[in-house]
Amino acid sequence: MKIVFVILGASLAINIDLFAAEAGMPQLDPKYWASQAFWLVLVFTLLYLAISKLFIPKIKGNLEDRENKIRNDIDEANNLKELSEKKQKEYNLVIENAKKEVQKILSENKSKLNIEIENKKKIIEKEIEEEIQKIQIEIKNLKKNSINDIGKISEEIAQKIIEEISGDKLNESSIKAAISETSKKNMDKYL
Amino acid sequence: MATNPMHQFNVYRIGPEIKIAGIDISFTNASLFMVISAVFICVLLFFGTREKKLIPSKLQLIGEMFYNFIAKMISDTAGSKAKPYFPFIFSLFMFVLFCNMVGMLPYSFTVTSHIIVTLILAIFIFIAVTIIGFIKHGFGYLKLFVPSGVPIVLLPLITVIEIISYLSRPVSLSVRLFANMMAGHTMLKVFGGFVISLGLLGGWLPLSFSVALTGLEILVAFLQAYVFAILTCIYLNDALNLHH
Repeated sequence: MKIVFVILGASLAINIDLFAAEAGMPQLDPKYWASQAFWLVLVFTLLYLAISKLFIPKIKGNLEDRENKIRNDIDEANNLKELSEKKQKEYNLVIENAKKEVQKILSENKSKLNIEIENKKKIIEKEIEEEIQKIQIEIKNLKKNSINDIGKISEEIAQKIIEEISGDKLNESSIKAAISETSKKNMDKYL
Repeated sequence: MATNPMHQFNVYRIGPEIKIAGIDISFTNASLFMVISAVFICVLLFFGTREKKLIPSKLQLIGEMFYNFIAKMISDTAGSKAKPYFPFIFSLFMFVLFCNMVGMLPYSFTVTSHIIVTLILAIFIFIAVTIIGFIKHGFGYLKLFVPSGVPIVLLPLITVIEIISYLSRPVSLSVRLFANMMAGHTMLKVFGGFVISLGLLGGWLPLSFSVALTGLEILVAFLQAYVFAILTCIYLNDALNLHH
């Protein structure tokens, strides 16, 4: 509060003192108006010339250069992007084709292999069949032979037994007839 | 004498007296500070445009900011037709701004605080705009004073008012800048005087005012340069694109 009063008092004192000392505004003194006008026109004209001929073209050029550079960079980036997308597509296409080809080769080979296996199987089966037939014929022959052999052996055995027992030699043909009759009777059991 | 707040506006001769046809055009402190402001602008722009970097240096950025700021101001207010006047508006804004700002330095002189300086600038703008208007539109430029859509009864009155407002443009433009600058600097000086006279005990209060006022004055210095330039653009817009 005290300070405010002091300031008010001082300001009053100073204002009275100051405005009493020199009244009026120097701005309204026409003594140097012509000088100010002359120097203003001179300095401002020179400044205008310097700015319009020297500085503004430079700043403008620089700003335009920067804008062009940015635009070019963006264009280039877009081009590169397009190019890379194209390449990506090509790459994908190549991979897809390769996959298709692999699938094709795989299936082809599979079917070929299957056919081959089938063929081999048939051949082998045929061979086995032939072999079986051969063996069966052989077995049949063997059986037939063995029946004959058995007939002969049994004839001999029967002759010998009869000789031992009776000391007589029987007619061979009658023995043969008896054995073949028996064997014919029982043949079905063994064949 | 030194504590007189108006003392800072005194103009005095520096160097020899120069007279042409009996008119005193001696180099004064006002002339000196005009030259200092202009040189300041040129140095700033010279170093701002010396290197053409893709990523601007600080000074280059300042120059480009001023350029973009004024280019935007002109295209916003006066349109694309005002492009040829861009260098003039740019010079005008820079000159007023730097005269105001240089005037903020202690012991310096504020060129724009003199009515004669601002009046010459304003009258030049007024005459130039009027000539441009007549060149672009011929006598059709006089339609500026006859707004459309006004009742016929009011038309004479409106026309008179329009003519008066048009003719008072240079006065309002110059007095606005001059009065703002003078009042601000006088206030600063008055509060500075309080600091001295109240001394160590009571001087702190006016000192704080002084600090705050300095910030305000820097704002005003920028604002008045902006207002001066944008009003020029608006007058130019009237001359280039007749809206009435």
